[in-house]
Amino acid sequence: MTEPLLRLQDVRYRYPGATNDALQGVSLAVAPKQFHAVLGPNGSGKTTLVRIALGGLKPLVGRADVIGVPASHWPRQDLARLVGVVPQREDNLFPQRVRETVLLGRYPHLSLWGRERAADHDAVDRALAACDALHLANRWLWTLSGGEYQRVRVARALAQEPKLLVLDEPGMSLDLKHEMGLFELVLGLVHEQGLGVLMITHDLNLAARFADSLLLLEGGRPVAAGAPNDVLTQETVAQVFSWPVAMHTVDGRPQMVPLRQPKESRA
Amino acid sequence: MKWTILGAVAVIALILSIVLGPAAVPLGELLHSDIVWNLRAPRALLAFLVGGSLGVAGAGLQALVRNPLADPFLLGLSGGAGLGAVLAIALHLPGPWALPIAAFIGALAALGLVYRLGLIGGASLDPRILLLGGVAIGAFAAAITTAIVSLADAAELRNAFLWLWGGLSGASWDSALLVALYAPIPLAVLFAASRPLDLLALGEESASYLGADVEKVKRRVYLAASLLTAAAVAVSGVIGFVGLVVPHIARLTWGHRHRSLLPAAFLGGGALLAFADTLARTVVAPRELPVGVVTALIGVPVFALLLRRWTIA
Amino acid sequence: MLRRLLFALLVLAVGCRPSGRPAVGPSQRIVSLLPSFTELLFAIGAGDRIVGRTQWCDYPPAALDIPSVGEGLPPNIESVLARRPDLVVLYNAGPNVTAAKQLERAGVQTVLIDLNRLEDLGPAARTLGRLTGRQERAESLAIALDSLAGRPPPPSTTSLAFVVWDNPPIIIGHGSYLDQLATQAGARNVFGDVAAPSAQVSLETIVARDPQWIAVLADSAVRPGFAKRREWRAVRAVREGHFLLLPGSLFGRPGPRSGEAIRELRERLDRGPHR
Repeated sequence: MTEPLLRLQDVRYRYPGATNDALQGVSLAVAPKQFHAVLGPNGSGKTTLVRIALGGLKPLVGRADVIGVPASHWPRQDLARLVGVVPQREDNLFPQRVRETVLLGRYPHLSLWGRERAADHDAVDRALAACDALHLANRWLWTLSGGEYQRVRVARALAQEPKLLVLDEPGMSLDLKHEMGLFELVLGLVHEQGLGVLMITHDLNLAARFADSLLLLEGGRPVAAGAPNDVLTQETVAQVFSWPVAMHTVDGRPQMVPLRQPKESRA
Repeated sequence: MKWTILGAVAVIALILSIVLGPAAVPLGELLHSDIVWNLRAPRALLAFLVGGSLGVAGAGLQALVRNPLADPFLLGLSGGAGLGAVLAIALHLPGPWALPIAAFIGALAALGLVYRLGLIGGASLDPRILLLGGVAIGAFAAAITTAIVSLADAAELRNAFLWLWGGLSGASWDSALLVALYAPIPLAVLFAASRPLDLLALGEESASYLGADVEKVKRRVYLAASLLTAAAVAVSGVIGFVGLVVPHIARLTWGHRHRSLLPAAFLGGGALLAFADTLARTVVAPRELPVGVVTALIGVPVFALLLRRWTIA
Repeated sequence: MLRRLLFALLVLAVGCRPSGRPAVGPSQRIVSLLPSFTELLFAIGAGDRIVGRTQWCDYPPAALDIPSVGEGLPPNIESVLARRPDLVVLYNAGPNVTAAKQLERAGVQTVLIDLNRLEDLGPAARTLGRLTGRQERAESLAIALDSLAGRPPPPSTTSLAFVVWDNPPIIIGHGSYLDQLATQAGARNVFGDVAAPSAQVSLETIVARDPQWIAVLADSAVRPGFAKRREWRAVRAVREGHFLLLPGSLFGRPGPRSGEAIRELRERLDRGPHR
C-alpha cells in the first residue's frame, strides 16, 4: 500500500499550562480518494487535531506525518503545495475580488520574485470552474452570499493543486441547498480528481452521508473509528452527545434523529 | 498606463524641486550653480528617498498590524528619536553628526523595546501588542524627554523639538548618499515580503495554510519597516502623513497586491515629499514652512477625493 | 539660547500695565522675572531691593547672590510668593498675564512690562523708577536709552544674518531687538525684509543673500556645530569662518547695557574676522 497523505499515530497533546490533555491516543490516516471526517461535540479536540495535522502544533507523544514526513518539519510553502485548507473563519483586511483571492492559492507555486504565469491563471480558472464559481470571478468578495463565499474559498484551496483538502466546519451558516451543494462538490472532487479530504464537523448526518471513514472524538479521546455504519451506532452517539437519539438509514448510511426529552423526565 | 503617469509625476516632482527654490537661479546656470548642486539636488534626493521609504514602511506596517490607521511613527520610533536628540544636546555630544546619530540610536532602542514587548506572549510576534507597545513606549520616551527638557538648565534643549520637526533642512550629499546606501536593504526585504503580506491580510492562520512562514514574515516586515523609519527620522525628523496616506492612495489605484502596491507607495511617497518640500521652500519665500504641514495639506484633500470616488464606484 | 531670545522676540504692543493694589510707598521687596528688569533695577540703584530673580538673571554679578525662583515665563507662583515680595515685575506675555492675576489674588502688587525693542527701554526704566521711588536716576537712564533708540542708524558697511538654530535654519527678522542692534552697529540684517522677529528659512536663501557675517548667540568661543556641516559650507561666511559669537548675557537682551552691546558689536565688525 502507498504512503497515506496524512497519518496521525497515537497523538497526545496538551496546551502549555493546561491541566488536561487536549488530545490523547488519536490515530487516523487519509489516503488519496478518501473522504475522512472527524466528528465530535464542541471542545472534543477537533481544532487541535487540525493544527497538529497541519504542523501548527507538535504532538507531545506520537507522530503526525504528511507523506511520511512530520508535518511540523515541512517548510510551509512545500506543505501548501500538498495540503489545501479551508479554515473555519477568516476576515479579509482589504476588499478583494474573487479572482484575486483565488490567485492567492497559487502562492506556494511561485518563486520569490517571479510573476504569475499563464499556467497559474489556468489553475485559477480550473479551480473556479470545479467549484462552479467561474461566473463570480470579477465580483467583490463582500458581495457574495455565504454559499458562494464558501465555494470561492474551496476554489482557492484547489488552486493550490493539493493532494489533500482539509475543511474545518465547511457547512457552518449555510442553508440546506448550499450546504448540500458544497458537500456534493467536495465528494465530486474526491471521485474525479482523486483528492484526499479531511473534514472537521459536528454535523453527524452530513458526515455520515458523504464521508467513507469517520473518527468520533470525545474529550480529546477517540471513541470510535471506521465506516459510518460501524461508528454511528445509537448507543455511541447518545453517549458522546449526551442526548437520546434514534438512528435511521438513508442511502445505506446512518442518519441520526435527536429524541425529545421533556424536562420532567430528565434526571 | 498608470505606471507611466506615476513615473512621470515622480520625475516631474524631482525636476521641480531642483529647478524651483527661494533663491533665483537662472535656467542657464542650473548645472553650474552651487545652490542647485550642493543644496537642492541632495535635498531633492533625500526628500524622495525619505518619502518613498515612509510610504513603503507604512504600507508594510498597515498590513502587518492589520490596522489601516497604522503610521510608521506610531510604533514609538519618534519618541525614541526625540529622546536620543535631547540626550545628545544635554550631554553636549560633539560633532556635526551627533544629533542624527543619537536620534537614530534612540529610535533603534525604542524599536528593540517594542519588538521585545511584541514577543511577550511567547515565540509568536503579536502585531496588536506591537501597536499598543509602540504607543506606550513612544509616550514613555516623550515623557522622559519632556522631563529632561523642563528640568535641565540648557536652553538649547528646547531646540531638540525644533530638530525633531525639522524636515529636510539638514539635507546634504552626506545624508542623501547615506540614505541611498542604507534604504535599499530594508526596502528589498519589504519588497521580497510582498506575496506573504498579501496572504497575511487573510489572517495569520490562513496565511500559513497558503504557504507563508508567518513568523518570519512578521519579524522581517516589522524590523525592515522600523529600520527605514528610524533612518528617516534621523535625517529628516518626524514627517507625518506620508506613511499613513500614501499607502492608502496607492491602494485605491493599485489594489491590495503588495507586489505593485509597494513600488507604487515608494514612487508616490517620494514624489509627494519632494513636491511638498518644494512648496515648503517656495510658497512663503524667503521664509519656509515645516514640510509636515505641506504633506498634510496636500495629502488629505487628495485622499478625501480618492476615497469619495472609490466609495461611489 | 532660543529661550533667552523668546523674551526679546515676542511681538507685543508698547506700553506697560501696573496693576493690583496701589502702592503705599516705594516697593521694598521686589521679585524681578526678566534678566533685563534685574539689570535695569540695579542700574537705577534699586538692586538691593530685589529679593528674587530668575535662573537666567546673571548680571550684574551681585544679582547672582539673590535667591533664584527658577523660570520667569511663566514663573512658579509658590516660589515667587515664598520670597514674600511686595512687587513682582513680569514680562508682558500670555502666560505671565495669568501668573500676574494669580499673584494679585494672593495680595501682591504686580506689573507687566513690555520689553522687546530698544524703544521699550526708556518707558520700562521710568516705570521701575516710579515703583521704587528712584525717579531721578531712572529718568536720566531713560533719557540715555531713549536717545539710543532714537539715534539714526549709521550707514551700513557690512551685512550679517543672525542664525538662531541650524536645522531647520531659523533667523532673526525685522522688528526684533537683535535686528536693531545690528542696524545700530552699522550692519545690515540680510533678513531685514522678513516681517517677523524670527522665521524658518531655507538654507539656500542664506546662501543667496550671502551675508558677510553669521551672528550666533553663544556663551562660548566655540563655533557652532553646523559650521562643520557640509550643507552649511555652501554659505560663504561659514566657509570663510566669518562667525560673530555673541555672549547672550550682553547681546541677547535689551537693557541698560544695550549701548555697550552696540559699541562692542561695531568694534568686532570693524576688527574683521580673526582667523
